[in-house]
Amino acid sequence: MGWLDWLRPKKKPAASEAELFDEAFQRKLEYLAVASRRLFAGRMRAERRTRIAGSGIEFADHRPYTPGDDLRALDWSVYGRTERLLVKRFEEEEDLTIAIVLDVSASMGFGGRARFDHARRLAAAMAYLSLSNLDRVTMVAVSTKVVRRLPPARGRGQIFKVFEFLRGLEPSGETALSEAGRTLGAELKRRGVAIVVSDLYDPAGFERGINALRYQKFEPMVIHVTDARDADPGARGDVLLVDTETGDGREVTLTPALVARFRDAHTHWRHEVEGFCKARRVAYAQADVEGALEEQVLNLFRRSGLVE
Amino acid sequence: MEWLGLAPSQLAWVGALAGAAVVGLYLLRQRRRRVLVPFAPLWARVLEERPSAKLFERLRRLLSLLLQLVLLGLLVVALGDPRPAGASRRGRTTVLLLDASASMSATDLPGGRAAAAREAARRIVRAMGPDDRMLVAQMDAEVTALTPLTDDSTALETAVTAYRPRDTGLDLSRALRFARDVLRGNAHGEVIVVGDGAYPPVAGDVTTDGSALRFVGVGRRGRNLGLTAFSARRYPLDRSRCEAMVELQSWSDRAESVVLTVSVDGAPIERARLRVEPGERVQRVIERLSGGGERLEARIALEDGSRDDLSLDDVAYATLPERRRARVLSVGNGNRYLEAALLLDEYLEVVDATAAQAPAALSRGRFDVVISDGAAVQVPPGVGWISLRPPPDGSPRPVEPGLFSAPAGGAIVFDRVDRRHPVTRFTSDLEEAHIGRVARYRLAPGDRVLGSGSAGPLLVAGERDGGRFVLFTFDVRESDVPLLVSWPVMLINAIDWFSGEDGAFQSSYRTGTAWRMPVPAGEREATVETPSGRRVRVPVMEGRAVFFGTEAGFHRLHSGGSHTLIAGNLGDPDESACAPRATLSVGSTRATAPLPGARGLRREWWVALLAAAALIVVAEWATWHRRVTV
Repeated sequence: MGWLDWLRPKKKPAASEAELFDEAFQRKLEYLAVASRRLFAGRMRAERRTRIAGSGIEFADHRPYTPGDDLRALDWSVYGRTERLLVKRFEEEEDLTIAIVLDVSASMGFGGRARFDHARRLAAAMAYLSLSNLDRVTMVAVSTKVVRRLPPARGRGQIFKVFEFLRGLEPSGETALSEAGRTLGAELKRRGVAIVVSDLYDPAGFERGINALRYQKFEPMVIHVTDARDADPGARGDVLLVDTETGDGREVTLTPALVARFRDAHTHWRHEVEGFCKARRVAYAQADVEGALEEQVLNLFRRSGLVE
Repeated sequence: MEWLGLAPSQLAWVGALAGAAVVGLYLLRQRRRRVLVPFAPLWARVLEERPSAKLFERLRRLLSLLLQLVLLGLLVVALGDPRPAGASRRGRTTVLLLDASASMSATDLPGGRAAAAREAARRIVRAMGPDDRMLVAQMDAEVTALTPLTDDSTALETAVTAYRPRDTGLDLSRALRFARDVLRGNAHGEVIVVGDGAYPPVAGDVTTDGSALRFVGVGRRGRNLGLTAFSARRYPLDRSRCEAMVELQSWSDRAESVVLTVSVDGAPIERARLRVEPGERVQRVIERLSGGGERLEARIALEDGSRDDLSLDDVAYATLPERRRARVLSVGNGNRYLEAALLLDEYLEVVDATAAQAPAALSRGRFDVVISDGAAVQVPPGVGWISLRPPPDGSPRPVEPGLFSAPAGGAIVFDRVDRRHPVTRFTSDLEEAHIGRVARYRLAPGDRVLGSGSAGPLLVAGERDGGRFVLFTFDVRESDVPLLVSWPVMLINAIDWFSGEDGAFQSSYRTGTAWRMPVPAGEREATVETPSGRRVRVPVMEGRAVFFGTEAGFHRLHSGGSHTLIAGNLGDPDESACAPRATLSVGSTRATAPLPGARGLRREWWVALLAAAALIVVAEWATWHRRVTV
C-alpha cells in the first residue's frame, strides 16, 4: 500500500458466496417477477399450446382420418353431413422446459469475481422468472465439460435449489459450450429454450456451442456477459500476454496503437457474435458486468427479444 | 580541442567499460511482465494482422540502444572537460597561497587579518579570466592544498571561506617549492601570496622557476609582546620542587609595562610587574615552586589594560611530570651501598627481602621496581628490574659460564659509556671505576650496551616481558663503583626510566614541529587529544609517539590505558614579530600586485554536453510516459 493507491483503478468488490443471493437480491427477483407479468401479460406464461389430436378440451380444427387414428376422435357429425372422415383436433396447454447453460470456465473469473457473480445472478434471475411462470427449469454448468447439472424443477419454491446450485460453482478450465448441447440433448426428453449465460470466449468458437444447441432442437438464447476491461489490458510496453484459460503466453510490445487495434478487434468480435445470432434468429443480449441487473433483465432482454 | 578533465586514454577506458555494460544489458533478454488476458486468440488475430510489427520493434530497440550509447558518450566526453584548442595555454595557472601562520590571528584589523586575507583572496578569484585556472592552498608550517587546479570559482571561494590560521610558524620556502611543483610546465604560471609578509628570509635556492610572483599584504601594525619560551623542570635531587623559566620579548615601538602571572593548576603562584623596552628580551627564572601540580601556565597582560595585537603568544603552557611514589623490592643478602643509594630519593618505598622471601613479597603487593643483588628472582612481567650480576637461574639474559677477572695488579674499567641513554645521564665519573670480575651474558637483539670495557659489556639496558631492565654484569662490591657519584645517580636514573620519568622530560613542545612524546614500554599506538577536542591516532616509533602539533595549549596523550598531559606553545619569535610588510621578495624576485584576468565568457563545453544529455533523458521520459516509445 502506498501513497499512489488513489491512482489505481478501483475494482468492484466481489460478493461473498453468502451475500450472492441475499435477501435484497431475492426482493429484487420478486420485483422482477411482478414487473415482468405486468409488462408481458399473456405472453410469457407457460401457455404454449400444442395441437395434439384427441387430447385436451378446447377444439382447434379437423384433419383427414388416417388409418390408425383413434376412432374416438372421429367427428361423427361432420361425417353425417359430408360423409368425410375427419378427426377432431384439440389444443392442449404444455409447460415449457427452460435450460439455463452457465459458463463456469476460468475466463468467467477474470479480473476478480465480478463477472462470475454477475453471470450467476443473471442465471438466478432467469430461473426465478421461469419458475414463476410455471415453466420447468434445469441448469447446466459447463466449462471443459459439464461440471454440474440441476435436474428439471418446477414451481417458485424451487428457486432455493437454484441458489444452492449456483453457490457451489467455481470458475475453472477452458470453455467448451458445445458440451452443454450434447449433454442437454442426451438427457432431456423434451426440447425447449436453452439460455446461454457466457462471455463466449470459446477457443473452439462460440458458433459451435450455439449450433450444438440448435442441432439438438433447442431454441438457444444468448446472454453475452461483457466487461469493458477485456478490451484493454491496462499495461504498456514489453509484456507476456498469458491466456487465463489455457495459460499460453505470447510476447507482445503493447503500444497505444496496438491496444487501439485490439479494442477495435474486440468490438468487431462482439458485433460478429451479435450478427451470428441475428442471422440464425437466436435471441441475443449483452449484459455488461457494470450494468444494473434488473434493468438488464427487464429492458435489455425485452429489446433483444429474449422474452416475448 | 584539449581535455582538462580526464585524459583521453582514461575517457576511452571509461567509455569502453560503460559501453560494454550498456550493450551487455541490451543483449540480455528482458524478463517480461506477465499480463493476464481473458481470451488470447483475439490478440493473436490482431498480431497476425501486422506483419511489419516485429521489424519495427527491432528497430525501436536498436534506436533505444543507440540513444543510450549517445547518452553515455555525452557523459563520458563531459568527464573529459573538453575546451577549444589552446584555451588552457592562453589562460593563467595560479597557485594562491594563503598565509595561515599564527601572525594572521592578529587583531590589528577589524575582524582580524584572516578576514582581510579571505576578502582579498575572494577578489582575486573573482578577477579570474575565462581561461584561467587556480589552486588554493594554505601555508603555515606545512602546505595544505584546499582545492585541485580548477576554474570553478565557486569551489575556489568555498575553499577561501574554509581557510583558518593555525597556531604555527610559517615555512615560506616549502610553500614556494610546492607552488613551483604545481606550476611546472605551465607557460602562464603565477604564485600569489596573500598574507602579512612578516616572514623570515627565504633560502637562496628557492625560486618561483619563471612563474610570476604576486603579493597582497594584509595588516596595519604590529604592537605585540609575546612569551617566546616557557619551560619547567623538577630539581634532580629534590623532586618535590621545581623551577620554571619564562622568556618574553617586546616588538612594540615603545616601552611597555606588563604583568607576568605564573599559575599551577589554575592557582597563581607568581606575579611580577615588568617594564620592557622596545625590542628587549626578558628572561625570568622562578625557583623552588611547589611541584604538586601538573599544569603550569604563564600569562602576560599590559598593565594599562589594553591588549596587544596578537593574543596567541600572551600565554604559554608547560607540564611537570607526575611524581609517583615508587615501590622498590630489594632482594639480596644486604648491601649497604645499595641501601645508602636508595635512601637519597625520599619518593622511594623500599622493601628488603632475601631470595627466599621474594616470591611471597611479590605475591603480596605490586612493586614498580625489583632490584636483585646477586640473587635469583622471578620478576613479574611489566616490572622494572635492576639486576646486579644475577645467577643463571634468575637473570634477564642467559649467563655464560665462567668469570672474566682483571689481570693481576690491574682492573677492568669503563672504556666506553653511552651517555645519551637516560640511565647513564649525569655520570661523568664512571670512567674512573675499577672492577675486579665480570660475568658474561648473552645479549639479545635490542639490548643496548650503556658501558663496556675490555671484558665486554659492563652495563646493559633492555626490555623483557613488557618491562625494562638494567643489568650490571659485575658485583658492585668487587669494584669501587659505589664510591662514585655516578652510583646513586645511575640507580635513580634507572628507576626514573622505568617509570617514564627520564631526565629528558620535555615540559612543552613548539607548534609546527614533530613532537616525539614518550609512551609506556610495549605500546605501539597512541591517541592525541588536542585542545580543540580533535582526536588523532599517532604512530609510536622507538618508544615515542610522533605527532605534528599545530595547536597551542594542553594536549592529552592516551596510550596503554593511561594519559599524559602535553603542552604546546607557539614559541616562535618570527610569528610574534607580527608587524606587516608591504612587499615580498624571494631572492632577487620582488613580488608585484596581482593582475585581473582577461575579460570574456568561459567556454565550458561540458555544460552543453550535460544539458544535451538531460534533454535526451527528458525527451525519453516524456515519450515513455506519453506511451509514444513504449
